[in-house]
Amino acid sequence: MNQSIIEPPLASVYDLYETVIGLEIHVQLSTQSKAFCSDDARFGGAPNTHLSAISLAHPGTLPRPNRRHIEFAVRLGMALGCNIQRTSYFDRKNYFYADLPKGYQITQDRQPTCMGGTLTIPIGNAFKTIRFHHLHLEEDAGKSLHDTDSRFSHIDLNRAGVPLLEIVTEPDLRSGEEVDALMTAMRHLVRWLDISDGNMEEGSMRCDVNISVRKRGATTYGTRCEVKNVNSMKFARRAVAYEVRRQIDLLEKGGKVIQQTLNFDPQTGITTPLRSKENAHDYRYFPDPDLAPVRLSDAFLAKIKAEMPVLPTDLRAILIKNYQLSANDALILTEDKSVALYYQQLASVCPPVLRKAAANLVIQKILPFLQTQNIAIAHYPIAHTQLIDLLQLIEDGKINASAAYQILLPALLQEPQSSTLAMAEKLNLFQNTDTAWLETLIQQVIAQNPDKVTAFRKGKKGLSAFFVGETMKLAKGKADPKILNTLVMRFLNT
Amino acid sequence: MQIDNALILKLEQLARLELSEQERKAVQGSLNDILKMVEQLNTLDTTGVEPLIYLSETENHWREDVVQFQVAKKAALSNAPLANEDYFKVPKVIDL
Repeated sequence: MNQSIIEPPLASVYDLYETVIGLEIHVQLSTQSKAFCSDDARFGGAPNTHLSAISLAHPGTLPRPNRRHIEFAVRLGMALGCNIQRTSYFDRKNYFYADLPKGYQITQDRQPTCMGGTLTIPIGNAFKTIRFHHLHLEEDAGKSLHDTDSRFSHIDLNRAGVPLLEIVTEPDLRSGEEVDALMTAMRHLVRWLDISDGNMEEGSMRCDVNISVRKRGATTYGTRCEVKNVNSMKFARRAVAYEVRRQIDLLEKGGKVIQQTLNFDPQTGITTPLRSKENAHDYRYFPDPDLAPVRLSDAFLAKIKAEMPVLPTDLRAILIKNYQLSANDALILTEDKSVALYYQQLASVCPPVLRKAAANLVIQKILPFLQTQNIAIAHYPIAHTQLIDLLQLIEDGKINASAAYQILLPALLQEPQSSTLAMAEKLNLFQNTDTAWLETLIQQVIAQNPDKVTAFRKGKKGLSAFFVGETMKLAKGKADPKILNTLVMRFLNT
Repeated sequence: MQIDNALILKLEQLARLELSEQERKAVQGSLNDILKMVEQLNTLDTTGVEPLIYLSETENHWREDVVQFQVAKKAALSNAPLANEDYFKVPKVIDL
């Protein structure tokens, strides 16, 4: 890369163009078994140990769809507001490749199970709704390793037949940032719905990025190029940036963009054609006669609908509206479904006035604790009622907040079975609100510092903090700061 | 529609076959015969007739999502023309 290239001025030729992007997102589903046979579908495992006659494509074998594959597709379809098709079909997509033993991939071409749908994603400070063309079920191919041997490619068929969903967007994305935002939102959603681990490093989520450019204001799309198998958000952004520049440069030189499939090399940051034109694929889709049509009954759809969790966007709205949380707190609490459920349970047994404090407790104390201890929130040791007692003690001014969080909470984590009140008692944390006792302490401090009293009365009002601090020391931290402050001011001003 | 030489070459490529000139001629003849027959079928008006795709009336022939161990690695690899202890081996296939 040539670092000496001068950045184009702001009103550069690149600004005359608009980028148009559509994605094909592949999501590997977290079923136990494969899409059309009973082999183990999980990631990992020693090579070629998750196999059957069906995934090996032996003659005479018959595929059978996995019920959960269809359920997961419908679950995601419902979450995206797709039009769920009562009848859908499986088709064969034909091509030869060493990691595809059948010579075809089972997919849905004529009538996918889910049509349409949208997802609203945050772009900067605004939101944008991305439309989907459809979602279809398909199976994955095996894995080819090209670098282990100089003359041969090695094939591992564990992944052959693993269930996938392909999510096809409309060409609604306009930048690498939007690609990133959509992939992030989709990963969050598939995890929320418990249909995939969404792990891009292990290939559970990857996308093909279709990129074209056109002059701003143009109403027709430019010729697009497809960047295959992008498996990280960072690569997606870089591939888009490179490809947009390449296409604009080409057009500006009077050239034409040729529709082709590209590979993005993260090492060099450039895209290169993956397949030459004469090898252009002709997939010759046709109905798979081995697989009966999928017909979804009312009962089947109703059951999936009943089992749907509240969606993150809906839950955020509830937290903001009913629990008076800030948008940011709501966002943090809905990042992970288990955290959201935990907060909802905590808040449901909590006096309404403490809900905001409960949110702060979860965000500022519980989440960091879980992170350092590496445990799930469901295993947080302190019971809801104990936590609420702690919040109530602070709210009532019986314990000051720093004592509650720095002394009482750690003590409860050590002994989660003891009650909050007993523990606070044992640690002697209750604030003394006995004003007569506080007054004697204040009088002591005033008597010991006559010069500062004079200075205060001459106008050094900031000194009140000194009197509050000294009295608090004598009270060993057990004075209610609000009451103490009021009393100190009364003494100093008389 | 006529099956010409260019189409035969394309089909060869898609099917990963390499035919001799003689075989090409023979295949061209048979394919044209088949197409002629299909064209005859095409003269029938099939408006409103659902295509027959599935010979069985079965629908939703699903499995439950349960793992069953099927074929051991050694057995799976034993039928391959080329393999090592862990992998199937094929002539290097990198798309460039």
